[in-house]
Amino acid sequence: MTALLQASGITVSFGSVQALAGVDLDVRAGQLVGLIGPNGAGKTTFIDAITGFVPARGRVMFDGRDISAAPPHVRSRLGLARTWQTIELFDDLTVHENLAVAATRPTVGSSLGELVLGRRQRAEQHADDAVALLELAEFAGRMPSELPQGKRKLVGVARALAGRSKLILLDEPASGLNTAESLDLGQRLRRVADEGVAMLLVDHDMGLVLNICDEVYVIDFGHLLAHGPPGDVRRNPAVLAAYLGGPADAAQQLDGETAASSAERAGEAQ
Amino acid sequence: MTTPVLEVADLSAGYTGAEVIRHISLTVGGGEVVTLFGPNGAGKTTTLRVISGVVRASRGRVLYAGRDLARTSPTARARAGIAHVPEGRGIFFGLTVAEHFRLGYRGARIDPRVVYEYFPALEPLKDRRAGLLSGGEQQMLAVGRALARRPQLLLLDELSLGLAPLLVERLLPVVRNYAEDSGCAVLLVEQHVQLATEIADRCYVLSHGDIVLHETGARLAGNPGLLIASYVGQQSAGPGQQGDGAGSGG
Amino acid sequence: MSEVIGFLLLGIGSGALISGVGMGVVLSYRGAGVINLAVGAFAMLSGYFFWAIRSGEFASIGTVPAVVLTLLFSALLGVAFELLVVRPQRSATPLAKLIAALGVLLALQAAVILAFGQSAQPQPTILPAGNVIIAGVPVAWYNFIIAGILLVIAVVFMALYRWTRFGLGTRAAAENQAHAMFMGLSPNRLSLANTVLMTVMMGIVGLLSASITEVDSQTLPLLIVPGLAAAMFGRFTSFSVTFVAGVLMGMAESLLLYFSTESWFPTNQGGPIPGYDELLIFIVLVVAMFLRAGKIPARGDVLERRLPAAPVPRAPVRSALIYGAIAAAALYFLPGGFRGALITSLISAILLLSLVITTGFLGQVSVVQLALGGVAGFAVSHFATNFGIGFPWAPIMGVLLAAVFGLLCGIPALRVRGVSLAVVTLAAAVAIENFGFGNTTWGGGVTGSYVPPPSLFGFNFGPNASLHGLDGIEPSPLFGWFVLIVLVLLGLFVCNLRRSGLGQDMLAVRANERAAAAAGINVQYTKLLGFTLSAAVAGVGGALLAYNYGSITADSYDTITALALIAFAYISGITTVPGAIWGGLIFIGSITAYALQDWFGIQGEWFTLIGGLLLILTLVQRPEGVATAMFYGPRPSLRALRLTRRGGGPPGGSQIADRVGEAKVAS
Ligand SMILES: Nc1ncnc2c1ncn2[C@@H]1O[C@H](COP(=O)(O)OP(=O)(O)O)[C@@H](O)[C@H]1O
Ligand SMILES: Nc1ncnc2c1ncn2[C@@H]1O[C@H](COP(=O)(O)OP(=O)(O)O)[C@@H](O)[C@H]1O
Ligand SMILES: [Mg+2]
Ligand SMILES: [Mg+2]
Repeated sequence: MTALLQASGITVSFGSVQALAGVDLDVRAGQLVGLIGPNGAGKTTFIDAITGFVPARGRVMFDGRDISAAPPHVRSRLGLARTWQTIELFDDLTVHENLAVAATRPTVGSSLGELVLGRRQRAEQHADDAVALLELAEFAGRMPSELPQGKRKLVGVARALAGRSKLILLDEPASGLNTAESLDLGQRLRRVADEGVAMLLVDHDMGLVLNICDEVYVIDFGHLLAHGPPGDVRRNPAVLAAYLGGPADAAQQLDGETAASSAERAGEAQ
Repeated sequence: MTTPVLEVADLSAGYTGAEVIRHISLTVGGGEVVTLFGPNGAGKTTTLRVISGVVRASRGRVLYAGRDLARTSPTARARAGIAHVPEGRGIFFGLTVAEHFRLGYRGARIDPRVVYEYFPALEPLKDRRAGLLSGGEQQMLAVGRALARRPQLLLLDELSLGLAPLLVERLLPVVRNYAEDSGCAVLLVEQHVQLATEIADRCYVLSHGDIVLHETGARLAGNPGLLIASYVGQQSAGPGQQGDGAGSGG
Repeated sequence: MSEVIGFLLLGIGSGALISGVGMGVVLSYRGAGVINLAVGAFAMLSGYFFWAIRSGEFASIGTVPAVVLTLLFSALLGVAFELLVVRPQRSATPLAKLIAALGVLLALQAAVILAFGQSAQPQPTILPAGNVIIAGVPVAWYNFIIAGILLVIAVVFMALYRWTRFGLGTRAAAENQAHAMFMGLSPNRLSLANTVLMTVMMGIVGLLSASITEVDSQTLPLLIVPGLAAAMFGRFTSFSVTFVAGVLMGMAESLLLYFSTESWFPTNQGGPIPGYDELLIFIVLVVAMFLRAGKIPARGDVLERRLPAAPVPRAPVRSALIYGAIAAAALYFLPGGFRGALITSLISAILLLSLVITTGFLGQVSVVQLALGGVAGFAVSHFATNFGIGFPWAPIMGVLLAAVFGLLCGIPALRVRGVSLAVVTLAAAVAIENFGFGNTTWGGGVTGSYVPPPSLFGFNFGPNASLHGLDGIEPSPLFGWFVLIVLVLLGLFVCNLRRSGLGQDMLAVRANERAAAAAGINVQYTKLLGFTLSAAVAGVGGALLAYNYGSITADSYDTITALALIAFAYISGITTVPGAIWGGLIFIGSITAYALQDWFGIQGEWFTLIGGLLLILTLVQRPEGVATAMFYGPRPSLRALRLTRRGGGPPGGSQIADRVGEAKVAS
């Protein structure tokens, strides 16, 4: 089976700064792939490159098509959604409208109907689904600036989900959430992935990444450092040294977090 | 006991007339690290904003070294030694990293070398515009600059937001040592519960605008169940939990 | 050849004045985030002050003490401007600030006319006379002295902003006040210092200008257009680039003046073609714009703060029926003068609706809408008089033509946004007015261009139709009803647009272009479509205006009116349909203006003066627009702002909380 996303040799330079140096990364349909690395490693830049927000060298194949030269909105319409580390909501629209924008694409026909006859477009089901999934119903009518930071992050995730995309690139969706909230988010993401939506997850919450991902990529200074199933990556000495911290405490901490999350899962199953 | 650096008494505040925090009282002494935990939307950020003066209290008092701050502007509070690293980092995207260290009121002096000591990764970036930094690098700049100002009261909102685990693990002890060495009072909002309880003297848990737990860090670190109970007890009362039940049912 | 060099050098002095105004714009922008349309007016005021204390109007003082007094006066002017306008507006949107500055410009112009009369006054010069012969042409010394003084000022400012704490602090506070306060900076004091620096520099410009021009209410204030162009070259931040651009523009204008006397220069009615220098400024701006990189804001770009909210309309059809019926009755029963004013109000409301689309929904500030209306108006006139094409084909083709022009005006919006776009469209409006409408072949020249009344199948329903109102006087209510029906239909159209997917896309673009692209919105397409739709609406308004006037000149669609249009749109609510209609009811020539004149005798400069002051006051009181506030209630956070505001202390909670998160940056 060929991968949904095949990024090969992605290279991004800003003047003399090389933010990414030939990174290869594949995501298959329904797969949850983690991308981790130290601050400034190039994770956000990678997402920018895949979604067309920075000029990059290398090739991006998505769903069997070469999209390396396509502008961002075309990539999005092909089924590539993303969230932003800095959230970037539409501050002028309510939370619900934020999702509706992503869920519906007006066509010439639908626009004419709406403008002349005043008909409302109906395909906002996806927006409602995303609201339900992330439990944002109580905020649906509010303006984004009135929400606490963690909820705004979730609205960003919901907006990406509302687009019914094939692949969603998530940039630190759990930052600003506490451990319990982040595990909870992880389980919801896992459920979405199990329904066939692929995801690339960038986050610093190792309890989250190592628990729900099928595969993890690690980058450092723009280079791929390691790649494999979470269990292997967590024990990789290079990863421990560059990112996770000293072998002993890291393993201990991670095991602790894993235990907590499996306890949580057990609790949910009851 | 001497007067605490920060004393918040019976404080209420909010945005739309509706109050977000209610009757909060807390203290932070010199050299002490106190953390403020709580679920999203509990009012932690709002509490810090009231202390630094950008949101007004609707009731209650904020005392800084025994002095009531009600008539003091945010600028004057900052000059009196309160440093607030806000949610969203509080740096200026149009200025370079080095320019952030030259920035300040007359008489303020910041030694960039102190910052580079805490965060060596920043030194090679010193001529880069702060807006171009990665999220974590921006956070280092914000925290580094605040530490280098040698404040008497340090308010840190989501200190570890966007920082790699390795860095968080190094940073929290830095804050701890800084407080001990300089006698600075630190009020810390943090999501990394485990690491934060280890370095904190005392912890408050805020939920829906009320303080629901006040414990020493040592007791909480040794007894995580306590914290979880305070969270969960409050969370199930909140609307956030309803869907959870539905989710586990399906 | 030597003449060419001579004329180039002759332009240095006036070019340096442009630079001075441009640098004033840069100072205001850096210090307070204002695109300050009033900088030239400050220079004018100082010029008048100097004239008044030197020439015996108030006193006759010697040159040196008079200069000192004038600069002192300029500084006081700065303090007043800061305290009365800049500070209350500090956390307002850039557009609100621009409009407040416009209010200051209009009020100051009206005030000096009321105080000193229309005619220009011979301001005594302070620079030595005398010429130097260069390449065989005598060039006055003052050209080099003025340029030299302003060059020194530019260098000083450059150093100040790059290397001092004051400069750094100003840059920081302009980006985010709350964060600046967290660092112990005082945004209030920094802003005051910057404003005073600006007015003192404009005082110097006012003094220097005496060698080149007499002091009047027009010349210096209107230097703002080339001054803005120069400042835009420097991206509103660079003093050196602004200085050089200003001087070069002055030299180019001087050279064009020389060319215009040559035989090969295109002519119109015996004289050189009108509006060529305005066209030059516009072209310069377009070049400046294309030198700027980037289509979508990139990582680390500071985004401008947003406009007022655009609430979803409630029960538009019901409101349309109720208010439409009232207006229809009023059109019949009101006496003639009021009826005419009401018709003007309805047409203005249509023009304002076009601003609701471009600015309210799309977030792009466009000053060119009235000129687009003029395109349709002159098309109607020329189709009828030159080709015998009448209603409905002439207005239809006119509206289509306006839409095409609107599409062209949308192209700059793909590269620049917010208030920079206001500057480009301002130059476009000035160029269209002078180069297009001033030309007798395409426009109306000074004599005007005839517009036959609209009629269908021989049935005239123009202002002079046979059915008269209750009092038996023209204009005919038939024409009023026709305008009313068009307004109601267009109003409902704009309401539908706000609720449609397309409208949501526009608001998404307005809020965040990067996120919009990531959500699958074609940002370029949406912007161009919005500009085209709004230009078509403006075209309808322009064509109706032409029918209303019966004969149109360039003055029928002039730029000052266009600026006033934006201002009225903003204070009545630029994001909603009720806002547009209210704006129409209080606009220049409206029923309110007529009543003021008829009942209280307030007119002319007094109306402008009062209007300008009211503009500033309303902006401070109701940042979201009067009608929007009335129809959609105060938004919760705005109410909070009022609850928590108190004099002298820190600003209100939610206001600042918004500001804490205000600098949204991509990462
Ligand atoms: N436009 C830019 N100009 C210069 N440097 C940049 C730019 N964008 C990103 N960088 C640098 O590239 C590196 C990678 O950034 P980023 O991808 O945001 O890291 P992260 O892995 O933390 O998300 C950082 O060091 C950042 O400073
Ligand atoms: N600017 C604002 N305007 C209106 N409500 C706000 C604003 N900021 C925060 N709130 C509300 O205040 C409550 C507490 O928010 P906050 O203090 O940010 O929580 P925390 O930092 O604990 O996550 C939330 O319910 C949030 O919706
Ligand atoms: Mg990142
Ligand atoms: Mg918070």
